[in-house]
Amino acid sequence: MQDKNKLTGTPISRIDGIAKVTGKAAYSTDYPVKNLAYAVLFKSTIAAGTIRIIDTTAAEKAPGVLAVITHTNAPKLNVNGGIRGGALLQSPEIEFYGQHIGLVVAETFEQARYATHLINVTYDKKEPKVDFEKLAKEATLPKDKERADAKRGDAKAALRDAEYKVEQVYETPIEHHHPLEPHATIAEWNGDRVTLYNSSQIVNGAQSAAANTLNIKPEQVRIITPYIGGGFGSKGGQWANLVLTAVAAKQVNRPVKLALTRQQMVNSVGLRQRNHQKVSLAATKDGKLTALAHEITTHGAIKNEFVEPCGDCSKVMYDVPNSLITYRAVPMNVILPTYTRGPGKSTGSFALESAMDELAYALKMDPIELRIKNEPERDPSNGKPWSSRKAVDCLQVGAKAFGWEKRKAEPRQNQQGNYLIGYGVAAGTYPAHQRPTSAIVKLKRTGNDVMATVELAAADLGTGTYTILTQTAADALGLPLRNVKVVIGDSDLPPAAGAVGSVGAASYANAVNDACQKITDELLTRSGKQFFARPTASQLMLSEKLTEFQTRIDAKPLESAEEYSAHSFNANFAEVSVNRFTGMVRVNRFLAVTGAGTILNPKTARSQIIGGNIWGIGMALTEESILDPRWGNFVTRSFADYHVPANLDIGDMEAIFIREDDQKSNTLGVKGIGEVGIVGVAAAVANAVFNATGKRVRELPITPDKLL
Amino acid sequence: MDVNETPDLSDDEKKLFEDLMPEDLDEILDTGVNRRHFLKLVTLAGGGILAAQSAVAEQLFTRPLSVPVAAELSSATIENGVNVSLNVNGAARKLLVDSRMTLLDTLRERLELTGSKKGCDHGQCGACTVIVDGQRVLSCLTLAASCEGKSVKTIEGLAKGTSGSTVRLHPMQEAFLKHDGFQCGFCTPGQICSAVALMDEAKRGDASYVTEDVRKKTAPVQLSTEEIRERMSGNLCRCGAYPNIVAAIQEVHSGKPVEQTFRFSA
Amino acid sequence: MRPFTYSRANDPASATKELAGNPNAKFLAGGTNLIDLMKEDVERPSAIVDISGLRLTEIKPIAAGFAKGGLSIGGLGKNTDAANHPLIRQNYPLLTQAILAGASGQIRNMATNGGNLLQRTRCPYFYEVAMPCNKREPGSGCGALEGVNRLHAIFGASEKCVAVYPSDMAIALAALDAIVKVKNASGQERSISFTDFHRLPGDTPERDTNLAHGELITSIDLPPNKFADKSYYLKVRDRASYAFALISVAAGLEMGSGNKIVQARIAMGGVAHKPWRALKAEQFLAGKEATAENFKRAADAEMADAKPLEHNKFKVELGNRSIVLALQMAMNGGKA
Repeated sequence: MQDKNKLTGTPISRIDGIAKVTGKAAYSTDYPVKNLAYAVLFKSTIAAGTIRIIDTTAAEKAPGVLAVITHTNAPKLNVNGGIRGGALLQSPEIEFYGQHIGLVVAETFEQARYATHLINVTYDKKEPKVDFEKLAKEATLPKDKERADAKRGDAKAALRDAEYKVEQVYETPIEHHHPLEPHATIAEWNGDRVTLYNSSQIVNGAQSAAANTLNIKPEQVRIITPYIGGGFGSKGGQWANLVLTAVAAKQVNRPVKLALTRQQMVNSVGLRQRNHQKVSLAATKDGKLTALAHEITTHGAIKNEFVEPCGDCSKVMYDVPNSLITYRAVPMNVILPTYTRGPGKSTGSFALESAMDELAYALKMDPIELRIKNEPERDPSNGKPWSSRKAVDCLQVGAKAFGWEKRKAEPRQNQQGNYLIGYGVAAGTYPAHQRPTSAIVKLKRTGNDVMATVELAAADLGTGTYTILTQTAADALGLPLRNVKVVIGDSDLPPAAGAVGSVGAASYANAVNDACQKITDELLTRSGKQFFARPTASQLMLSEKLTEFQTRIDAKPLESAEEYSAHSFNANFAEVSVNRFTGMVRVNRFLAVTGAGTILNPKTARSQIIGGNIWGIGMALTEESILDPRWGNFVTRSFADYHVPANLDIGDMEAIFIREDDQKSNTLGVKGIGEVGIVGVAAAVANAVFNATGKRVRELPITPDKLL
Repeated sequence: MDVNETPDLSDDEKKLFEDLMPEDLDEILDTGVNRRHFLKLVTLAGGGILAAQSAVAEQLFTRPLSVPVAAELSSATIENGVNVSLNVNGAARKLLVDSRMTLLDTLRERLELTGSKKGCDHGQCGACTVIVDGQRVLSCLTLAASCEGKSVKTIEGLAKGTSGSTVRLHPMQEAFLKHDGFQCGFCTPGQICSAVALMDEAKRGDASYVTEDVRKKTAPVQLSTEEIRERMSGNLCRCGAYPNIVAAIQEVHSGKPVEQTFRFSA
Repeated sequence: MRPFTYSRANDPASATKELAGNPNAKFLAGGTNLIDLMKEDVERPSAIVDISGLRLTEIKPIAAGFAKGGLSIGGLGKNTDAANHPLIRQNYPLLTQAILAGASGQIRNMATNGGNLLQRTRCPYFYEVAMPCNKREPGSGCGALEGVNRLHAIFGASEKCVAVYPSDMAIALAALDAIVKVKNASGQERSISFTDFHRLPGDTPERDTNLAHGELITSIDLPPNKFADKSYYLKVRDRASYAFALISVAAGLEMGSGNKIVQARIAMGGVAHKPWRALKAEQFLAGKEATAENFKRAADAEMADAKPLEHNKFKVELGNRSIVLALQMAMNGGKA
């Protein structure tokens, strides 16, 4: 619980805010590296086959061109070194449309871009596998053991005998992460060591993937990434562009800058895969669930598999004796799918929570009541006790704050002028984990002033890492904010967890707190004195007249945390209006109530929750990427064709946090909010659309054509 | 449900408060310093000031805001060169550019003004928004060659002063800080330039697609939340800071504090 | 982007002359579409003649001729300035709404009125140079015809091309019976009625308009109208703002005594290779009462001839409803 005298828990503005509002925050391509050359990638225009001839003669002769690198002259790289998605120019084989098949390095960006137009390629084409509708029936059990069939009881039998049931298929399309900052790198070699300015959610992961792929040692690679222009999963694993920039720089013996174009983003940095989800629910007439089956069919890339865990929410949300969760996947000629905000849970909760709404309607029961009725006492998937679970609180607090009682149970009962108004609710969850993270704390005294520097290879992709760690360290050391400097985003710093999967805040803040406690302990020991009350590190620096002192910690999660099932929970409430002529949907109001343990900074936390909600609204209403089933190219290859929500799409957003003291999950009780903010959102919106119109849209996004 | 609950002020916050809001000292002497004052500081006076006090805000990982000489390229590397004289953030600049070079690339690659961002390079995201001759435009779709005699203002030119404690942020920058109008910060320079120019459009009485009656022309026009949303829709923010961006702009536009609350419930 | 020479034109005469001398030369005005397409390698001019400094920006009343009593809008004026000009807001609110429905504030500050008419299609097969497209590369085929064609034409398409024209402004101009005034290198001027300005694809989808190479749009002339108080521009799209239209409808109703329609003007966007005048709906409404039922019957009359493709069948129903709603909104005084 929040200590009233602490800085953690207060809504201070972002520490990195001034740098960001003045344009001084340096992202990957903003570093003033001298003597830069510019690289531009060029791509395959078929989705399957091999390159027979690649003619680079004209490009090589073009003005300013320093090098053209293709599979014919690229250095040998380790394709299993940890770079995702292939496209490392190691073979003539084409696995997907838009695959990088080479790059041009030139004196200027304009010259490099022009020269890419002069490449001539002859292919031996194969029939691409890109039509998911046709391929779905060939899907098989994934190799990943985590995606094995999970059975409890006999769901099929229970469904057969059910009093009430819902059996529906829910479709979600391919989505792109599209962080506003396209993936970009500056590579600068110094002898056999390369510095890579490259946005990386997992700093050490980027370092090892680059090193392994380049066949050099990790200590020869330095990743610098203090500011990340959004990532949402796409900058978690690293992609070919990172390593190819290093290759290009080596080749021309100069620093090289390489930024993906927005159009290249759709084929280069993973995607959220297409999911076909069948959800079957059975219940007694008073709303007790008797069976839940969630059967997922999806696709991977042609050589590698990635299956987002759409069944995860179904595993833990409700108390149900008979459960079946299955995954089937088929290879497709697309870039390897990857983690995308709320991986699995966001898309899976659309299916589960839509089905719950359908069941509530069939039972003539309030959908909140139905959920509360099936609240599990323990984690149904493993029998562990919850570290803490605030799912019901979220629903109840939200219902009151949102004015849920104004909702009409029957659809199409609320019309205002040309607009049909509807309310929807959906719940969500995301697991909470702490990961090993090291940190160094350095104290320096000048007169009566003690300055602290906290160093760790953490990342801040807009999540507020700088700010919460400054708050955490200031509290733990007894220093004002201005005397704490947080240094992150550099692989030369102590290794840290990635800013992925909602583990960042818990891993980093606990490590920093542990380091600050450790340095205080060490100072106490060194002083050899007894104190009535534990002094702060800052006081000890003064009393011991030390000028410099530092320590390092390798923080680990609590061993006891394994005994519990730790999750954040939420409840999402949406009010939509639907134009009864055109079918255009607006989310007028949205409320997310979240129980996510300790909130280190409610200002940045609120922003992150709302940001997740807006991602969910995009999923519900606007975002869809479409492959041409003949050629495997995305016809939605720009921001004009792939619609991320714009400002006018977003109505009034509100966030409420449930106070939750969960020290079973980790020392500070921090559970993470980056992912949970999107979970359940699309279902809440779709359920509200049903309440408004009486139309149940089971295929996202809910564009106007689906409501005519 | 307690909204913005108000526990006592820490010593640290007291010090900040005294530094930053001396005009409220009388009230403090009368009523004592409490968290309500602190929150007022944070939420009304621009919590960004707090960040400014912190050691990290200015020095770390940020680039000096100098006015470097335009990077000279050998004439061999410039094709179809065009001589351009323009004014950037108050300074006259003269350079020879490749006819293909956009204003955005010129700012970023030649003038070391990397605040303007390349989010899409095709006029579909707004991250490259700068103010040319008083109008917000997209620098990615503007050829540098066509900027002869023009006056360009970028995010780097909005704050007064250059570094450390001498920086006085533009009110729009202050408001973005206070309302947390960004997360990753990549779209932020474009958002802020767009918002600054929008204030002048409102003063002129310009209409938008959501203006109820375009036949009624009044200047200045008081922008509703909906109007701000529509007029800022050319600036995409993938982190989803839109409500905070709208609140920041509304505050600068109306001159009145805009409440944005997070809430806790027990 | 391919290398090109750049020159700034000082006056219309030298601009048109310079263009006439080079079939691969292009005018650059606002650049919002041309620069985009040059970066995509769709447009490949060898010379750019920058006409953005020419003073063809005036908005002034027309004293004589066909459009007497109307308004002349300079071809190189900015979209923002046109949308907000007091005379346009007062007398042509339909045009103001249509301009403001398009793009974003930044783009409208750059885009010119003449340039707006010359926007090229947003068809993804046109934009992606590796795809077949008869408009970009005559004879290469149409990628959309049997491809992903949710956004494509339901009127006036051909086997060669099913693309739609993307401008919003032009849809209003079609409803307003605008006239496009152009000038060529020999100094000859001509007036093109709006219906004749853009083309249907036919066998030559590479030609969007009937403008000849080197002709410069000097002004767009708007004749007076009697429906300024009863007009509306409706835009239906996949997101609330900053997106191209699925369907748009520019509607104006000139009302007589009682509730009788003297004349209706209806033009549609997002349905054809050019702004689509809904003449059948207009004919039906002339002399009829302005009722919901008549609006529906007018829409039915217009949409009966629609020929949808595999993925855009919804446009027939959406177009129908959009006509009805636009007419209803127009009757309400065009209030947003």
